[in-house]
Amino acid sequence: MSDMVVATRPAREGLWQRIWRRRTRNYVIAFLFVLPALINFTIFRYLPILTTLRASLWQYSLLGGYGDFIGLQHYRFMLEDPIFWKSLRVTAAFVLLKVPLQVAFSLVLAVFLRQERWILGVVRSAIFTPVVTSMIVVSVLWSMMYHSQLGLINSLFSIVGIPRQAFLSNANRALPAVTVMMIWKEVGFSLILLLAGLKGIPEVYSEAAIVDGANRLQIFWHVTLPLLRRVLMFVVVTQTIFSSQVFVPVYAMTRGGPLNATKVIVYYIYQYGFLFQDMGYASAMSIATLVILLVVSGIQMRAFRSEVEY
Amino acid sequence: MNIKRLGRVAEGVSRRWFTWLSLVLVLALVVVGCAAPALAPPAEKAPAEKEEAPAGPPEKVTLRFLAIQDDAQLNAWKEILQEFQQIEDGKWSYVDIQFESVPFRELFPKIEASVAAGLPWDLLEADGPDMKHYGFNRVILPLGEYFTEDELKQWFPQSIEEGSFRGELYGPPMMQSCSLMMYNTEMTEAAGISPPQALADSWTMDEALEAWQKTTVDQDGDGVPDQWGLRWGQGTWVGDYEHGIFHRSNGEKGSPTYEGMGEDGVSFVGYLDTPESIEAMQFYQDIHQEYAVTPIEPIPNIFESEQAAFMVTPDNRIGELNRLYGEGEFSWGVTGIPYFVTPVCQTGSWHYGISPNTEHFEEALAYVKFASSDAGARIWYKHVRQLPANVALFNELPEYQEGGRQHIWFEAMNEIGVPRIQTPCYTEYQQMFAEAALNIQQGADPADELSATARRIEGLCAKYAGWNE
Repeated sequence: MSDMVVATRPAREGLWQRIWRRRTRNYVIAFLFVLPALINFTIFRYLPILTTLRASLWQYSLLGGYGDFIGLQHYRFMLEDPIFWKSLRVTAAFVLLKVPLQVAFSLVLAVFLRQERWILGVVRSAIFTPVVTSMIVVSVLWSMMYHSQLGLINSLFSIVGIPRQAFLSNANRALPAVTVMMIWKEVGFSLILLLAGLKGIPEVYSEAAIVDGANRLQIFWHVTLPLLRRVLMFVVVTQTIFSSQVFVPVYAMTRGGPLNATKVIVYYIYQYGFLFQDMGYASAMSIATLVILLVVSGIQMRAFRSEVEY
Repeated sequence: MNIKRLGRVAEGVSRRWFTWLSLVLVLALVVVGCAAPALAPPAEKAPAEKEEAPAGPPEKVTLRFLAIQDDAQLNAWKEILQEFQQIEDGKWSYVDIQFESVPFRELFPKIEASVAAGLPWDLLEADGPDMKHYGFNRVILPLGEYFTEDELKQWFPQSIEEGSFRGELYGPPMMQSCSLMMYNTEMTEAAGISPPQALADSWTMDEALEAWQKTTVDQDGDGVPDQWGLRWGQGTWVGDYEHGIFHRSNGEKGSPTYEGMGEDGVSFVGYLDTPESIEAMQFYQDIHQEYAVTPIEPIPNIFESEQAAFMVTPDNRIGELNRLYGEGEFSWGVTGIPYFVTPVCQTGSWHYGISPNTEHFEEALAYVKFASSDAGARIWYKHVRQLPANVALFNELPEYQEGGRQHIWFEAMNEIGVPRIQTPCYTEYQQMFAEAALNIQQGADPADELSATARRIEGLCAKYAGWNE
């Protein structure tokens, strides 16, 4: 009897030790790996969001600090603020113009540039160069190029007999002008991701399709594109989020004008927070933008969901 | 079997433990973050008492100075610093200054964000009409107790009033200003124009328009003038200093249009959007769109690079022209500022400000006192060449005396000069006004734009209600 007791105890202790080793230790190690990212997200993401939410319920300015608690008054004002709605429309127009064009353009480029030839490597590098160039520098350069009197583009127009055009001071052309610049700047980013996606698709599927008699277009449409769906989802979702947060080109090129034609939501938030000294209202608009982006991203992720594994 | 069950249970426990631990950590961080004091308004603190330092050479002190991008001003401050280090037997030789300069329109948000974030700036370059805003919001320290009555007499009373808030001096002035219309004499002579030389004979807007039209020249016939008639205002921005003159000038003295704002400092409806204001801003739009005598897309240095015949500017342009072309090499003239009903130039200029975040108040104050003194003002003028705020300097400059070439600026400051609207809401007002002016330039209906802008400014300024009671 006493032998049994002696034999059982070490066995039970050994079990717990094994559980600790196998399970808990793995989780502890995993937790330690995740910990820095968790702290980073908490301090630099979640905490500011909560602080912003709090600020949106108070009268609050950078210099004046927190004033009275006003509940949802900022949100009510937002519903009645025509420029808020205008800035949302401008942002939506920018995203709807830029993201599809950029993704389509980068997809076409990726298909043509996926082969491993040195000259294509040079072209890939050239297309990627604007991505790593400072946004403010690019914006200033393009605004000089767009200048109606002094700009390079209008000089070229003059040479071929086209009348000079106002780009950034024309309410109908300013947003497309900024969009073109941004596509030029960021197409390299989507291109690299899509190239990686294309190279990750096993050749066997295309070969099988060729054996079945599919032509190149059919292979692209029925084989490549579906298998690229997850990468496309990533590109579309990230580009939608980044584009919805566009600020620097508007700040440097148009200041939201002319006639609010380029007043994107982030620029409007900046104006209220830093220029008009109403950080409370700016915070309310930031929360609204966050909610809108969450919903849009959720819809996009659902729309691009893929069951295909390879 | 039991061991497997136990394992699953343990796995479940570990997962939950992992999840709970993460959640607790996130919540703890959030709670700690939220419990931390929010970005508090800068305290109106008294300058720290300096601890008794042991004998020996003092440690080097570097003051941080936030200012606008302007080479002439920067050169002036550097020379002032060299002199400052020599005075009082080198008492301040251990003081150095590190400048950070930003474009004009970025200075205001930069100052406000920096002070709110507690960044250790010592000195700030503050625009005159913003002094009330800075005083109200405690962005700069009050300096009244550090200046004697005699020291205050160094400057014109307008400058002291502008640099004060609720009767106390917050920042001594760097200079004064009043914008008039300079012109390129070669261009006006080529167009057969002789602008009036006496302030009393200044052109009306319609008379000036004729001159601007005559000097707008499209030599190659491509539809874009090679020479423009007008650049209204310094730089490329459309701030209140020069562009706000349009609407104020279309009112009789003392009228709501002329005043531009209610006495309470927070009312704009009925002042900014009067029929006279709207009429003036319609003209403002027309000179850009219909008459096209000034470019809609601004051209940097358009007057200095001889691409425009007229420019509405303070006299600091003279220093700039001398730097670019050599002393007296650019053929310029000056005439009064065009007007609708009442000739108006808006006065005031830059002031020194000491940040509440400074850790070197004594050195910062000493530098400010020297820079704004007679000696400092002389160096300043040598570089910047703008109407002085310093009375002694003004009296010794022949160009500002009767018959002097720049006398008209002083005359205008006294005859037609009005301070920009005096309100702590000026910073918000100016940003809103600039946006409205830009929209009007680019084709917005002036009535709609001014009406909406006046209402929006009132909304933003409501927080200052009762500030001057």
